[in-house]
Amino acid sequence: MNPPGSTAWVGTQSRRAWQSVRTFWQVLRANPLTLAGFILVVLIGVTALLITVAPHLLTPYGSNSPTHAYAQPPSWAHPFGTDSGGLDIYSEVLYALPLDLGIAFAIAGVAVIAGGALGLIAGFWDQPNTAGGWTSVVILRITDIFLSFPSLILALAIAVSLGRGVWQLIVAVLLTWWPFYVRLVRGETLAVKHLPYVVASRAAGVTEGRIVLRHVLRNVLEPVVVYFTLDIGTVLVTLSTIGFVGLGVNYPVTPEWGSMMSTYQNAGLITAYPWTILGPGAAIFITVLAFSLLGDGLRDILDPRSRRVLAGTGAGGPTSASPAAPQEPSQQTVVEPGGTPTVVPTAGGSGGP
Amino acid sequence: MTAPVISVDGLTIDYIVGAGRFRAVSDVSLEVPEGHVVGIVGETGCGKSTLAQAIPRLLPEPPATIGHGRILFGDMDLVRVPLWQMPRIRGTGISMIFQEPLNSLNPAYRVYDQVAEALQIRHLREAGHLTPDRREQPPFDYSRRPQPDAGEVLSKPIVPAGATARAARRARPPYPELREEVLDYLKLVRINDPETILDLYPHELSGGMRQRVMIAMALSEKPKLLIADEPTSALDVTIQAQVLTLMKELIEEVHTSILFISHDLGVIAETADELGVMYAGKLVEFGPVGDLFGSPRHPYTKALLRAAPTRYKSDGPLDSIAGSVPNLSRPPPGCRFHPRCPLARPVCKAEPPPPLLAPPGVAPGHRSACHFASEVPNLP
Repeated sequence: MNPPGSTAWVGTQSRRAWQSVRTFWQVLRANPLTLAGFILVVLIGVTALLITVAPHLLTPYGSNSPTHAYAQPPSWAHPFGTDSGGLDIYSEVLYALPLDLGIAFAIAGVAVIAGGALGLIAGFWDQPNTAGGWTSVVILRITDIFLSFPSLILALAIAVSLGRGVWQLIVAVLLTWWPFYVRLVRGETLAVKHLPYVVASRAAGVTEGRIVLRHVLRNVLEPVVVYFTLDIGTVLVTLSTIGFVGLGVNYPVTPEWGSMMSTYQNAGLITAYPWTILGPGAAIFITVLAFSLLGDGLRDILDPRSRRVLAGTGAGGPTSASPAAPQEPSQQTVVEPGGTPTVVPTAGGSGGP
Repeated sequence: MTAPVISVDGLTIDYIVGAGRFRAVSDVSLEVPEGHVVGIVGETGCGKSTLAQAIPRLLPEPPATIGHGRILFGDMDLVRVPLWQMPRIRGTGISMIFQEPLNSLNPAYRVYDQVAEALQIRHLREAGHLTPDRREQPPFDYSRRPQPDAGEVLSKPIVPAGATARAARRARPPYPELREEVLDYLKLVRINDPETILDLYPHELSGGMRQRVMIAMALSEKPKLLIADEPTSALDVTIQAQVLTLMKELIEEVHTSILFISHDLGVIAETADELGVMYAGKLVEFGPVGDLFGSPRHPYTKALLRAAPTRYKSDGPLDSIAGSVPNLSRPPPGCRFHPRCPLARPVCKAEPPPPLLAPPGVAPGHRSACHFASEVPNLP
């Protein structure tokens, strides 16, 4: 294909990149629900970006700036209605989006990095009675302590003691969030680290650090990324719960969905003006749904095996519509060496009686 | 006989499982001369895989423990080399091919990435990048006690970490060159259309292909010793034959020494120069393949050869060895084979057979551990 010494490999590189984009798209197309989730997540992301840099494109009202329409039901001017103070619910829901997404990503992101690193360490160096083994024990017992409390109650308790505010909220949820990732990553690491390819790379002279970072981490990544995406939704729900019981940020100074719902519910508006709660509620629902749908399909995109099956294309070689048939005759033609294919069975056979 | 690449001397390996202690390998001594292929054959559970993995110190320790014995590689005793120093010896020194080609390649990376990783390890070593570099300098010894001397490894001159890192950067060839080199090794193992194979994931290859890629990876490091742990057992017979033919050709081409583990006498007969027969953790017979097959001097080897199916024997059931493999936590006293041995006499039960001795009337290098080795030819 490429003569030696040519620079045709540049084409190979870009072809590879293009191929992965195409495969991604094909997997999305194969799963309509994943596609829906992906589109929703993109829409949510674009909206969050727009509301941060150019809010007037999406809504004529500013954040926490009352209109002169009080307690209006949904209409064209106010899609989600207004509250008794004249705040446009639609605008407030939009203004809350970047904060809610940011907090959710911050919490899940720090949790996946910190918890994941600890889990990787605890899982890979778990030989008893070694330095690694003791580190692993310490990590796991601390994790167990945190896991032994119901996480929501613990988060609420921490939130109470820290007071109200965005950072306090993040810290409260984060402290209860990382242990799940330690457990998840440790379990996956334990499963992966004894697989033959890890032993094989060790036999090839790969150092332990590189085995962890290159061989183990990459194969642990799939379930972790899937869990992470689903987790964004769970964090959002937890955030809203904390906001809902009145321990979140201070609405309407800082718009946040949970706090919005809590404020309107406490004001007793749920029966008189139900749309004040429906707006932020729908926002939470759609965002959580979007990430859950995407998370479900992400596994297929990350795993080279199911990726190729769903996409139905290979890298131009013998493709595998049925990858579980490694010795099928059609592939055998590739296997045959340049010379005459030897099919003479070896003399003898099984030595064991 | 040329100098041995590796010589195993009185190696004993125990598995400690719960309260039990299983002696998987007991007092095994053997040498792999340079450029030779030494086969090890034996039943399942006789300790041959344990032996194979113990040499590059790949056994998980614990549960395995190397009780005593030495594994001499060059002037190093691998038993005494600290485990964190082993990556420097594995790969370019001792490489290994495993029996599960289906799982021995990382499913997440393309063939290119995996072969290139092995290649780069060799390039780094050749450039003097002695991994793991950060630990090159021994910790300051407050007690001033002499450090344990494990031979060459620990006595390497201390290289500043920065210097080896620079050497490593110089050693990393640009992508096109590395790619050509990867292609060369894929061609070496007779892969047609290596350009396509480069971009495939392991699950898209057949079993025989994967084993070829594994062999390419191992060879790309130019190891002094290649340990092949049942490389063909998981493949079906036709592919097994292809891979074996390939390995035989490669042995001619690359002149590496090979320790070939198998339970298949036919496979061993085709590849090995010398052969060791293991039974219940012990090496019971060792010798040149032709002589050992032609005139076995241990009753177990004889029984094993009789039990192997041949294309000439078509009548009646296959011969088998009466009894079963002993439990290694309570091996029988004396000779371990005596409960199943047609030659067994009281002395066999009372005292263990002498270490490998040359019985009369065999080729040089042929040794057997049997009280009555000279009577074996009289067996049916």
